[in-house]
Amino acid sequence: MPIVIFQSPDGTQRKVSAASGTVLMQAAVSNDVEGIVAECGGNAACATCHVYVEATHAERVGPPGDVEDEMLDFTAAERRPTSRLSCQIELSDALDGLVVQVPEEQV
Amino acid sequence: MSAVTTAAPGAPVVELDLAELRRDPYPAYARLRRHAPLAWVPSIGRHLLTRYDDIVRAEKLPEVFSSREEGSLLLRVVGPNMLREDDPQHRRLRSAAEPPARPRQVRDRWGEAFERNARRLLDRIAGRGAADLVGDFAEPLVAANLALVLGLRNASADDVAAWSRAMMAGNSNYADDPGVWQRAEEATAAIDTAVAEMAEIARREPDGSVISSMVHAAEPVELAEIQNNVKVIIGGGVNEPRDVFGVGAWALLRRPETLNRVLKDPAAWKRVFEETARWVSPIGMYPRQLTQDYEIAGVPLPAGSRVALVIGSGNRDESVFDRADEFDIDRPHQPHLAFGGGPHFCMGAWVARHEVSAIAWPLVFGRLKGLRLADSAEDRLEGWVFRGLTSLHVTWQAA
Repeated sequence: MPIVIFQSPDGTQRKVSAASGTVLMQAAVSNDVEGIVAECGGNAACATCHVYVEATHAERVGPPGDVEDEMLDFTAAERRPTSRLSCQIELSDALDGLVVQVPEEQV
Repeated sequence: MSAVTTAAPGAPVVELDLAELRRDPYPAYARLRRHAPLAWVPSIGRHLLTRYDDIVRAEKLPEVFSSREEGSLLLRVVGPNMLREDDPQHRRLRSAAEPPARPRQVRDRWGEAFERNARRLLDRIAGRGAADLVGDFAEPLVAANLALVLGLRNASADDVAAWSRAMMAGNSNYADDPGVWQRAEEATAAIDTAVAEMAEIARREPDGSVISSMVHAAEPVELAEIQNNVKVIIGGGVNEPRDVFGVGAWALLRRPETLNRVLKDPAAWKRVFEETARWVSPIGMYPRQLTQDYEIAGVPLPAGSRVALVIGSGNRDESVFDRADEFDIDRPHQPHLAFGGGPHFCMGAWVARHEVSAIAWPLVFGRLKGLRLADSAEDRLEGWVFRGLTSLHVTWQAA
C-alpha cells in the first residue's frame, strides 16, 4: 500500500497509507486530514480538494486533465505550477512516498 | 426497497407547524439540533436530519442515502431525472449536461452575454427611481441567462420564469391542488416542445449549450431525458440565484458599513455570495431514502426510511459557525452546505456565483446611486424547502 504525506500550512505532517487504486482525496477524507473538503465527492466539480504536489514529485504525478485544469483556475487558494485536485490523482505503488501540501483555504 | 412512510422505531416524533416553518424555520431547527437531531415530523412525512456533521456524513454516503426517493413530487412533475437518480445513471446524465456550466465556460462563453442582459434590465428601470429588485431585475436576469446556457433560443426570459414558478408550485403541492397540477403540466408540455425543437437544431449545429452538450454526449442520451433534465434545471435554476441575489442585496442594504467596505473592495463580493448562501440557503432541504439499515444521530433507521437533509439548518449549526444566525462576511472560511455535497453537488454553482457576485450585484450597486430599502411590508423572507425574499422594494436617485 502506497504511503502519502500531507503537509498542512502550519508545517505539520500527516502520513497516511491507502490502497492502490484509491484516489488521493479519498485517502485524505477517510483519515480526516484537515483542509481537504471535497464537497462534490470526487467529481472534479467543486475545486475544494486542491493540493500542491511537492516539486520533486510533480513529474511522477503528472499534469492535470482538461476538466481538472479548468477547475484549478477557480480554487480558493492561488494556483501554482504543481497544483492538482486530489480527487483526480489515483494512488499506486509508483506514487509511494508522495508529498503534497494542503493550501491555506479551499472555500 | 419500497419507501417506509412512518417513523422509524426509536426516532423521536416532533410536531412542526408548516405555516410557521414557512415564516421562519430557524427557531425550530435550533431546537431540533439541540434535542432531536434526527426527528420524525408527521406533517412532512419524513425524518429531518439537522446537524451539520450528520448531513455531511449522509452526503458522503450516496450508496446508503439514495436520491431515488419514491413518491417524490418532483418525479410527478418532471418525470425521471438526474436529481432523483444515483450513479452510474446520474453520472451519465450529469456528465452530458455539465460542461457548459463549468467555471471557465461560464466566464468565457457566457459572461459577456450575462453582463449585456444585466445592463439591459438596468437600463429599463434606472430612470424610475424605484423598483422591486427581485421581480423587476433578478428574476428576469437569471431566467434570460438560463435560457441562454440551456440553449432555449426559442423561449423568452418570461417563459422560463413562468415555467419555473409553475413547476416549483407543483414540487411543493402537498395540498394536492388540481389547479397547481394543471399549471405545472402546461409548463412541462411547453418545455417538451421547446426542447425538442432546439435539440433538433443543435443536432445539426452544436452551440455549446446544455441541450447541445446532451445531444452530442459521448454516452447517448434520449430526447425524453434531455427534456426532463432541462425541466429540473429550469425548476431550480431561476429561484436559487434569484434568491441569493435578493437576500444578499437586502442584507447589505441593512448594513451600510459592510456595503461600503464591499464597494471599495470588489473582491469581497465572493464572500458576500458564500455568506448569503450559508445564512439563508435558497434550497433548505432535500430528500433521501435509505437503501439499507443505518444508524445516524443515534437513531437506527431501517432500510426504506425517508430522511430530509436539512441544509438550511446545518448552515446555522452553532457548533460549526460562531453566531450562526448573524450575517457576517468576515467569518472564518468554513464550507457551507448550500450547494449540497457528493455527486449531486449543485451543477449551477459556477453559473450562480458568476452571474450574481461578478455581475448582478456590482452593476446594481454601482449604477443605482443612493440605493436604499423602501421598507415595504410586502418584502418578506419566506419558505423552508426553498427560502428567499418575496420581493425587494428599493428606491434610488434617478438621474
